[in-house]
Amino acid sequence: MSFPPNIKRKFWGKLFDSPIMLASGTAGFGEELLNLNCLAGVGAVVSKAVSLKPRAGNPPPRLLETPYGLLNSIGLANPGVHHVLNHILPETSNLPCPLLINVAGESVEEFADVVSILESSNVHMGYEINVSCPNVADGGAAFGVDPEVVLRVAMGVSRVTARPFSVKLTPNGGDMVLSAKAAVEGGASAITVCNTFLGMHMDWRTGKSIIKRKVAGYTSPALLPLVVAKVWQVSNAVSVPVISSGGVSHGEDVLQLLAAGAQMVQVGTRLMRRPFAGAELMDEMKKLTGE
Amino acid sequence: MLSCAVPLDYDCLVTRREEVLPGVVKIFFQCEGIAATALPGQFVQIEPSPGTFPVTRRPITINSLTDDGFELLFDVIGRGTELMAVMSPGDTVRVLGPLGHGWMTDPGSKWLLIGGGLGAAGFQFLKDSVDTAAILIGASCSDRVIPLDASFVVTEDGSTGSRGLVTSLISEEHLSNADSIAVCGPVAMMEAVWKTIPEKHRHKVQISTESRMGCGWGVCDGCSIPISDGGYKKCCKEGPVFPGTDIDWKRWKEAGL
Ligand SMILES: Cc1cc2nc3c(=O)[nH]c(=O)nc-3n(C[C@H](O)[C@H](O)[C@H](O)COP(=O)(O)OP(=O)(O)OC[C@H]3O[C@@H](n4cnc5c(N)ncnc54)[C@H](O)[C@@H]3O)c2cc1C
Ligand SMILES: Cc1cc2nc3c(=O)[nH]c(=O)nc-3n(C[C@H](O)[C@H](O)[C@H](O)COP(=O)(O)O)c2cc1C
Ligand code: FES
Repeated sequence: MSFPPNIKRKFWGKLFDSPIMLASGTAGFGEELLNLNCLAGVGAVVSKAVSLKPRAGNPPPRLLETPYGLLNSIGLANPGVHHVLNHILPETSNLPCPLLINVAGESVEEFADVVSILESSNVHMGYEINVSCPNVADGGAAFGVDPEVVLRVAMGVSRVTARPFSVKLTPNGGDMVLSAKAAVEGGASAITVCNTFLGMHMDWRTGKSIIKRKVAGYTSPALLPLVVAKVWQVSNAVSVPVISSGGVSHGEDVLQLLAAGAQMVQVGTRLMRRPFAGAELMDEMKKLTGE
Repeated sequence: MLSCAVPLDYDCLVTRREEVLPGVVKIFFQCEGIAATALPGQFVQIEPSPGTFPVTRRPITINSLTDDGFELLFDVIGRGTELMAVMSPGDTVRVLGPLGHGWMTDPGSKWLLIGGGLGAAGFQFLKDSVDTAAILIGASCSDRVIPLDASFVVTEDGSTGSRGLVTSLISEEHLSNADSIAVCGPVAMMEAVWKTIPEKHRHKVQISTESRMGCGWGVCDGCSIPISDGGYKKCCKEGPVFPGTDIDWKRWKEAGL
């Protein structure tokens, strides 16, 4: 690796002008942002989670902003894989950048089932297998903490697709390095480090949390050093590229993650403030590196 | 339904700031793009501060349009609105808009406007755009009655108008004189209004909803409003204004804000 890191990246055999990916759940399927003209500077879009059956999502309120971050309890709301395949993916064929589909499952088999159904579409480049959602009772993060289960999920997905896929891990429990190694053994072509941190807000007057599931996924620019550390650990332990996810709000954050070993860098929560984050982060990086 | 312009992220110049009521601020922004494209009931996502925090914007209804811009009228209730309250002439502020689907206005339609407290903030723009039969406003006290030329005002403490709740102002005459009924205010007030309106007039009712928001443009699924078929709709994209018949009041009240 050379320092400062190159902004142009090679990932999954393709050259990318930008290392920036829009994180799952914060960019829909990219088409809304395309309509807003927000995809400049974006290397790839990761779709919101897709599950076998439609999921209504968690009861509101689903968001709770804290002074330094955001709690979300979306609960993988999505119209189900068949609707996505027939009605949403055709609309994304004009995206100016590759699309990865984020896949959720309630059982080891379901991940492969969803992927095999999506195989009949040719608009997406690959998958991100979400074994790490903190916001659902079944499946979700419980999968990601057990390397044995991660291995089985990855093997199942490898069997049904020739497309590359990343496995998105959880920072909540387990040993991320062990889970990452298991994912690679099962055939993963990248590791996404990582999903949201488990968080909670307490109303001290009532002892209640206004989020109905009580705990939620927490994101914040202040979590950047935690993600940098995880990216550094995982990228030193596995042979496949690491996609970072978490903590980015400025161009310098992206450069830090690239220097720590990330091949691509996702940005999520920052899009809530800055829908044009892709172009802004690229400008900031180019200024810093003179590239 | 009127078609909506593509929202854009504008750097808007603050031209004026007024405290219209204690803790209620009105800010004028110069922005020809929004002035040219906004429809009544639409909102904007405003950056409360130039720094990194808070991590989301704040959704505020477009209170009214001016020749070259728009104004926002808001209640100072927390950190974001406190930061917004100190914006002053000469400041430049990032504003994304116009967003969402506003009031469904048919040409020639006569409107009854029913507002609760600061919820009436969104009515100025509607009132400027449609033929209004009457405006009924309820508030807790005179400090919460926004200037709007209302036909009838009641307050809970009797400090403006007579003492009472806005539901006491709703009469068969008002309802049958109107082709469309706009309701905006706290959830409990809107539900009380909905329950007061007899079945035969309910198809005319439109409800302006609020929800905590992430993006404001339909991608994060954070702003769901429970609807009567058991599912959810996005406040920011399919709303914030919904036909009254869409709302699942019980589940919405359980949700809280
Ligand atoms: C479509 C829409 C239009 C609105 N129009 C107006 C208006 O014209 N005038 C006005 O005074 N207020 C309006 N609101 C409410 C306004 O957005 C909140 O009062 C504001 O976000 C509070 O921010 P805060 O940081 O001061 O409060 P805090 O309580 O510190 O905020 C914490 C978090 O909760 C969110 N939040 C708190 N209360 C609300 C609320 N009522 N609605 C949505 N999010 C909330 C904030 O955005 C923030 O993310 C509107 C809300 C929506 C959804
Ligand atoms: C509103 C919201 C919804 C999310 N939905 C998903 C999801 O469906 N699938 C997933 O794998 N991650 C989801 N995430 C996690 C993000 O993809 C990302 O990993 C995380 O937000 C960390 O990045 P950030 O700090 O840039 O936000 C979601 C995050 C947010 C804030
Ligand atoms: S606020 Fe993101 S979908 Fe409505």
